[in-house]
Amino acid sequence: MERILDKGRLGALVAALADWTVLAPALQDGLWAYRPVAGGEASLTLGHPNTVQPPKGQSFPQREVFFTFDETPDGQPRLTPLVPRPAPRVVFGVRPCDGQGLTHLDQVFGEEAPDAYYQARRGTLAYVGLACNSPPSRHCFCTCVGGSPFGEAGLDVLMIDLSDRYLVRALTPVGEALMTAGQGVLTEAGAQDRAEAQQRRLAALAHPQRAVAAPQAVPERLKAGFGSALWERLAQPCIGCGICTFLCPTCHCFDINDEVASQSPVCGSRVRTWDSCQFPDFTMHTSGHNPRPDLGARLRQRVSHKFQYYFENHGVFQCTGCGRCITACPVGIDIVTVVNQVAAEAAAMQPADS
Amino acid sequence: MIDPEELRTRARDLLEGGQVRAVIGYRRGTRGWAAEPVVITRSEEAQDLVWDPSCVHNLALYLVQDRRRRGVLRGPPDRPIGILAKGCDARAIVVLMQENYVQRDEVYIIGLSCESSGMLDERKLAGAAEGIDPQDLEAVDFEGDAFVLSSRHQQWRLPAAGVMAERCLECRNPCPKVHDTLLGKEPREQERRGQALTPAMSDPFAELQRFEQTADSVEARWDFWSRQFDRCIRCFACRSVCPMCYCEECMVDSISFVVTPDTTAQEKANRLRWIERSASRSDNIGYHLTRALHLAGRCIDCGECERVCPVRIPLRLLNTKMERESRERFGYEPGASVEVAALLSSFRDDDPNDFIR
Repeated sequence: MERILDKGRLGALVAALADWTVLAPALQDGLWAYRPVAGGEASLTLGHPNTVQPPKGQSFPQREVFFTFDETPDGQPRLTPLVPRPAPRVVFGVRPCDGQGLTHLDQVFGEEAPDAYYQARRGTLAYVGLACNSPPSRHCFCTCVGGSPFGEAGLDVLMIDLSDRYLVRALTPVGEALMTAGQGVLTEAGAQDRAEAQQRRLAALAHPQRAVAAPQAVPERLKAGFGSALWERLAQPCIGCGICTFLCPTCHCFDINDEVASQSPVCGSRVRTWDSCQFPDFTMHTSGHNPRPDLGARLRQRVSHKFQYYFENHGVFQCTGCGRCITACPVGIDIVTVVNQVAAEAAAMQPADS
Repeated sequence: MIDPEELRTRARDLLEGGQVRAVIGYRRGTRGWAAEPVVITRSEEAQDLVWDPSCVHNLALYLVQDRRRRGVLRGPPDRPIGILAKGCDARAIVVLMQENYVQRDEVYIIGLSCESSGMLDERKLAGAAEGIDPQDLEAVDFEGDAFVLSSRHQQWRLPAAGVMAERCLECRNPCPKVHDTLLGKEPREQERRGQALTPAMSDPFAELQRFEQTADSVEARWDFWSRQFDRCIRCFACRSVCPMCYCEECMVDSISFVVTPDTTAQEKANRLRWIERSASRSDNIGYHLTRALHLAGRCIDCGECERVCPVRIPLRLLNTKMERESRERFGYEPGASVEVAALLSSFRDDDPNDFIR
């Protein structure tokens, strides 16, 4: 299903989606973030480059309470499970790289070992994507990692900006339902609109991006470069914070803790929170031994997970080329440079006949 | 203005002569115009060093990292490590020396005077001039009291005061007081004031004052800080980037780093967790306020915590508040002198409070 949405009627479309809570990127305190929007907002636009944080928190929030625990009056332990039951939500303005990122989260929390909490949130979520006519950041590199500025993976609807209007394309049954709900606001798409969208797509694909060299060879080369001294050198400026992983659309590591509100009588909750492989305590063993003792080992883990281990397990890169980790790194650690340098060194060291 | 070539020559000579085992400095990164910190150990790497308004990072952090690494190697340094230091970096080094974390003879300080300028705040660039897009910039440079910004096709000359970091506008010591060699001029206070920069350039704590005037009630401040702290994602970049946050063990970490094979299960189980891992309002406030108090009398206002924050929490307001307290109550300026005892490890007979006398 393909329709046309007049740009001035975006607020009317949101109003038509009465059965959903609508979130869209809004600029607040200098930050682009997904926020609930009210229907009928005439000023609503999708003028964002990309949001500071990806939409992953919608299905994988930074804090998830699994259950609460306490004592019954006769002193027996009692657990109260808390599986979320969120109302239907639709997230507007998701960039294709972040849509791609959602497919990785679905893989991790859905396919192999379904996670009840993730599934409960994901089941009521719909994503409306916005194609990138030009790269929103100078650090974009989606085309090197299997993505596209017009990519549809993970999205229910894709909107393509045609200056004064959007071409709106349903990609899933949920997307069809959204467009059916908004049909009063949408108009028929003609051959001219489709041709224009196709032109935009070709122009977007031709737009230069950062480049990961010979991406298909990267997993093998990183494997060969595991022991490289480059990891330590490249991690030298690293301050060991969690920005790169917490802003990543695909990083999904977590920690589980009991937050004890009272010891007597016992009560509290078991909570899952985001964790980061960049923190020293992430791999700390109870013996005091830390198998990833320094910044080089942690940089290697982050990069190799995205470009080697995940590829070995799932056949795709975990990185979607959104560029957030490059933009937000306080000291300029650049994942494209890291991959290229380690891979190039490994390639140079391999015998010519292999 | 400091000629970067002069800086490279100085670093090269120090490394070639074996006076230092490494030099901590800045080089051009691969993600555009911004400089990045680097530690060079070979004299031929000196040619990579740069000096421009994007050299924002407080390099004293890498002295801390160096000491940690040496702790692992368990060897005393045979030679000092060289470090480029702006006024603020040098103040941080002084605090590390006051606290005996770093010894004076372990460091060779190449002082860099910011002269009549300071560092660029990237966030002020958007809209600073017609057609300017921080994404398209290729280089930034000093030119007297202006910054010259270049994209591939265009160049802008902007008065530095308009796009300079707030902490630089408020800086009272843009020239390092402690150094082994100094590049650039020592600006005399009169010269500084005589320049056509904004009034904030000579007004300490200007941003804090603006905040206090805007949010002038307890309720207004609670609302303001609640909104700020609710955004915190606990990436700990503010702590990680801070050269004063060198504790082996931090109250926010889930486990103790000083666990050894001898630590018993009982000891581990009984470890108090002051602040939960959840990024909730109360835990976030617990984290940020504890950090601010731990920096009282130690923070030298390099502004790095605020610069690196991915969700733009105005952390300088907390730290400059502490700095102003220590100045007004005790006449103490963090990082001013190695000889002076640190504020929180000394007391005076005329202390305003009874309990300490």
